[in-house]
Amino acid sequence: MSPGSVDIGFVELFASALLMLVAGVVSYRLELGQAKRILVSTLRCFIQLLAVGFLLQYLFEYQTWWIMMLVIAVMLVAATQIATSRTKSSVPGLIPAVFLSITVSSLAVGMLIAEGVVKADPWYNAQQLIPIIGMIIGNAMSATAVAIDRLFADMDARENEMFSLVALGATPREAAFSSLKAAVGAGMTPVLATMSAAGIVAIPGMMGGQILSGVDPLVAAKYQIVVMLMLSAATTIAIVMACFLTYRKRFSQSGYYLDKGLRL
Amino acid sequence: MTLFEARHIAASYVRAGEAVQLFSDASFTLEEGKIYDLTGPSGSGKSTLLRACALLMEHERGELYLEGRESAAFEPVQWRRRVCLVPQVPTLVAGTVRDNLVFPWKLKVHAGQAPPDDAALASLMEQAELVGIELGRDVSQLSGGQAARVALLRAFATKPQVLLLDEVDAALDDESAAAIGRLTSSLVGAGTTCLRIRHRSADGFASGTFALKDGTLMLQGDGSIDTF
Repeated sequence: MSPGSVDIGFVELFASALLMLVAGVVSYRLELGQAKRILVSTLRCFIQLLAVGFLLQYLFEYQTWWIMMLVIAVMLVAATQIATSRTKSSVPGLIPAVFLSITVSSLAVGMLIAEGVVKADPWYNAQQLIPIIGMIIGNAMSATAVAIDRLFADMDARENEMFSLVALGATPREAAFSSLKAAVGAGMTPVLATMSAAGIVAIPGMMGGQILSGVDPLVAAKYQIVVMLMLSAATTIAIVMACFLTYRKRFSQSGYYLDKGLRL
Repeated sequence: MTLFEARHIAASYVRAGEAVQLFSDASFTLEEGKIYDLTGPSGSGKSTLLRACALLMEHERGELYLEGRESAAFEPVQWRRRVCLVPQVPTLVAGTVRDNLVFPWKLKVHAGQAPPDDAALASLMEQAELVGIELGRDVSQLSGGQAARVALLRAFATKPQVLLLDEVDAALDDESAAAIGRLTSSLVGAGTTCLRIRHRSADGFASGTFALKDGTLMLQGDGSIDTF
C-alpha cells in the first residue's frame, strides 16, 4: 500500500450500504417498483468489486503471462455479451464482429500504453495491464453498443433514401455511408465530452481514486491524461471496426437493403 | 427492337412467416423507344415486379434480359445502373438541386465519367418544365411535384436503358402529373424504354398496357407479350 493511503474498515464499508436506503425510500414513495433492482444492484456491486479485488491480490502475487491472458480473454467475452445484449436491433453475426472490435482495440491500444508509456515490468504485470485494459474494454463496450444501435436505427430511418440510392447503382457502402458517419460520431461523443469536461466539472474516477489512495495529484493528473487519450483512440478503433463489420449484414448478397418487409 | 425481356418471373413475399406468391409466371418484353403502363389491383404485386426487374429483390424463378444478355452476366450495380427504378416516394439527398442531379456521378459505378455541366443540367430542367428553379436551390424548398421531377431527372440524367417508374405521379396534382408524363415521353427515345405503374387515366403516351391480375400479365393495346 502506498504511503498516505487510508484503508476502509469492513464495518464502515458495510455501513455505507445504508446509503442505498435513499434510493430505496425514493422508490417506495414514488412507487417505482425498483426495490428488487436496487437490492440486486447493490449486492452485485459489492460482490463483483470485492471479488475482483481478491482476484487482483491473487494475480499480483502469482501472475504468469498465461493467467493474465486468460483473465483478459474472460473480460473480452463478458464485454461482448454485455455490449450485444444492449443493442435493440437483432443483427446476424453481431457477436463475432463486436468481439473482434473490442479485442483488437483494447489489445492494440492497451499494450501500447502498458509497454510504451507506463512500462509494465514484467510486460504482463497485472498491476498495469488489468486497470488499463479493463478501462479500455469498459469504454469500448459502451461506445460500441451506442454506435451499433445508432447505425441500425439510422439505416431503418433512411430506408427509402437508401432504396433510391441502390436503385441508381450505389453499393451497400455508398448507400449506408451517411449512417456509418452518424453512428461513428455518436459513439465518439461521450469520450470527447468527458475529455473536455475533465478537471472542471468532475475529477475523473481514476484520478479521484488515485488521489484518495494517496498518489501525488500531479502524477494522478498525468495518468489521467494518458488514460483519456488512450480511451479516445481505443473507442474510435472499436466503433469504426464494429460499424464497418456489421452494416453489410443488413444488405442482401446482391446489395439491396433488407427493409423490414424483407427481413425474415 | 426488343430492349428488355422478363421470362417466367416468379416472386413471393413473406408475410407473418408465410410465403405469399404474388406472381408465378410473369413474362413481358419492352421495345426500344416505347412507354408501357403496368396496371392491376393494389396488392397484386406491381411494385414487387418492378423491384425484381431492377434486382432490388430476389426472384425465385425466371430470367431477365437486357439486349439479349442475361442479368446474371452483369454485376448487380451495373445492372441497376442500366435498369433504373424510380420509387414512388421521391427521396432526394440533402443539398441543392444540382447536388442531387450530379449525385449519381459520385458513385463508384460512374467512376471516371464526368458529371453533366450546368448547361446540360439547365436544359434537363427546362425539359422537366422546372424553368424558374435555379440549380442552387435547396431541395427542402421544392414542392412535392417539383421534388418528384428532380428525382426523375436524377435517374434520367444517368441515361439508363430501362426506366421503371413506380407511381411517381401518384401523390401529385394533375398539372404536375401531366408534366411528368410529357417529360417521360420526351426522354424515352433511341436505346431506351420505360415501364410505368400508374393509377391515373391514360395520358396517351403509353404504347401498351400490361395488366397484372391473379399472378399473370395480360397485354392490352399493341406491343408484345406472352402469357402462360
